[in-house]
Amino acid sequence: MKEISELNLPDDVRYAEDHEWARPEGDKVKVGINDYAQDQLGDIVFVELPQVGDTFKKDEEFGTVESVKAVSELYMPVGGEILAVNTVLEESPELVNESPYKDGWMLEVKPNNPDDWDALMTREIYLEMLKGVE
Amino acid sequence: MQKETKKTPLHDWHVSHSANMAVFGGYDMPLWYPSGAKQEHLTVLTNAGIFDTSHMAVIVVSGTEAFELLQLCFTRDLNACVGKKRMPLEPGKCVYGVYLNEHGKVIDDAIVCQIERNLYMIVVNAGMGAEVAQHMAAHVNGKNVKINDLTDKMGKIDVQGPMAARILMKVLTDPEKVFDNMPYFTFKGYFDKAFPLADTVRFVNGIPVLLSRTGYTGEFGFEIFVEPDYLIETWEMILTAGEDFDLISCGLAARDSLRAGAVLPLSHQDIGPWPFINNPWLFFALSFSADGTGFTKKFIGDEALKNMDKDEYTHAFAGYDLRKVSAHDPAAYVLDSDGNEIGVVLTCVSDMAIGRHDDRIYSISSPDKPANFNPRGLCCGFVKVKSKLTPCQIVELKDNRRKIKVMIVDDIRPNRTARRPIKEMLKV
Repeated sequence: MKEISELNLPDDVRYAEDHEWARPEGDKVKVGINDYAQDQLGDIVFVELPQVGDTFKKDEEFGTVESVKAVSELYMPVGGEILAVNTVLEESPELVNESPYKDGWMLEVKPNNPDDWDALMTREIYLEMLKGVE
Repeated sequence: MQKETKKTPLHDWHVSHSANMAVFGGYDMPLWYPSGAKQEHLTVLTNAGIFDTSHMAVIVVSGTEAFELLQLCFTRDLNACVGKKRMPLEPGKCVYGVYLNEHGKVIDDAIVCQIERNLYMIVVNAGMGAEVAQHMAAHVNGKNVKINDLTDKMGKIDVQGPMAARILMKVLTDPEKVFDNMPYFTFKGYFDKAFPLADTVRFVNGIPVLLSRTGYTGEFGFEIFVEPDYLIETWEMILTAGEDFDLISCGLAARDSLRAGAVLPLSHQDIGPWPFINNPWLFFALSFSADGTGFTKKFIGDEALKNMDKDEYTHAFAGYDLRKVSAHDPAAYVLDSDGNEIGVVLTCVSDMAIGRHDDRIYSISSPDKPANFNPRGLCCGFVKVKSKLTPCQIVELKDNRRKIKVMIVDDIRPNRTARRPIKEMLKV
C-alpha cells in the first residue's frame, strides 16, 4: 500500500471524491482513475466501459472496474457525451495499474456543464481529503 | 468481546514491504504485496509462494482420554480415517474434519494432527481457538484431558507451490531424511524444543519445526509451525533460500482465489452456522458407515445430520470469464433458467490461472493445455441452493450490478499438485 506521500498525483488533472481524474484536452475531457484508486484496488483484471455516444450526468455510474478482490463502480467526474473509450483496456486492463494517467485512460467526454469542472478538486484539496480518510 | 485488531509477529515486515493490509479474522493481514494478487496466485502454480498464516489458531489436546474427547467433538472417526483403507490415525498423520454443534451446524473446520499417543495438535481458523477450546472443554465431563489454547503462541508459515520442497531442502537439517516417506497429510517434528520430537526436524539454524504436508491452496507444499519468537527469522531464511526459485510472499487474496479453485471451503463463509449436509466436503469431513446411511462412530451433531430433512445444497461453480458478482453486503442470488431465485452465493472469486477451451477448463499447469494458452481467469466459488443441482447445469448469479451465467461443477482448477509425491517435486 502506498503512503500518501508516495502517490503520483499530477497537477494537470482535477480529482473527484471517488478517485477519478479529469484532464481538459482542447474542448474534450479525458477521464480515468487515479493512483490512489489503482493502489487500493490492486490488480485490475477487467474494465467495463460505456458505449460511445452515451450521455451521463456528473456522478452517474459509467462502468465498473474489477480487481482480483472486488468490483467497484466508476462515476463521471463531469457530465457529458462519451466521445471515445479506451478499447485497449479490454485486452490489457493492467494498464490502469501501470499507467493510470496515460495508457490507462478510460473515457473522452464532451462536457455539457462547465460547473462540473469547477466542482472538482485540485491536487492540494484532494490530498487534504485523502489525509482525512486515512 | 475484545475487538482490538491483532497483529502477527510478521506485521511490521508486511507493512515495510508495502503490503496492502486488511483485517481478517480479527488480524491485520496482508491482502497482497506489490507483485499483486494475480502474480501471487500464478506463482503458486508455477514456482512457490510464502504465506504468513500465524493468524490461525492452534489448540493442543493431551491426556489419556484425549482420543475419546476428539471422537466425541470432531466429525472424523480417528479409528478409521487414513487413506482409502480408512486406517486409524497414528502419530505423524493428520486429518481434516469439522466441529459441529448438537444441531449439526458448523462451529469451525480443523486439521487434527496426532503428535504421539495421547497428544494431538488441532489447527483451527483465525480467532476460533477460544471458541473451539471452550466447546471441547464443555464436553470433557471428567475425562482425563488437558486443553491448551495456543492462540497467538504459534508462528505458522505456508510454503506452497511446486518448488516448495526444493526451497526447503536448502534450509532443513538432513532434508533427505525429513522428506523420506512424507506423503500428503503427514507431518514430522515438533515446534517445542523441550519435546523429544523437536529433534526430528530442525532448520539449519537449529530452530525446531513441525513440518506438515498440508496447505490451503490445492498445490504441493508445506505448512510450517514454529514458536512465534522464531517466526521472522524463519520467514526471512526461507525467502532468501527461495530467491533462486522466484519464491514470492503472497497475501490472503491469492490464498482465497487458490483455495476456491481447489474447491476448499472457507469456514464461516462456505460452511458455517447451518447444517453440514449436501456439500462437496461431506466425504472428507465425515466418516460414513459402509452402507452410507450412518457413521462409523457417534459424535456431537451426528443425530441431527441423520435426521435432517432440510433442502439445502452447496455446489461449486465455474463461470465463463473472470467477471464476478459481489457475494456479500448485499447478498448475491442464484437464479434458475426460469429466473426464479433458488439460493445465495457463498463465495465468488476469480481463479486467475484457468480458462475455458472447447468446453473444458484448463489451468496453466495442465500438461495437455492448448497451444498459446494464456487464460485471463474464470470466476468460481460456491452457491447454496434450495434444490439439488447437477454438474453441467447452468444457473445465473445476480448481484445489485450484474447477472452472470455459471456452470455447476464437481471440480474447478484441474491438474493441482497437492498430492504429488515429494520425490517427483524435487525434480521439477
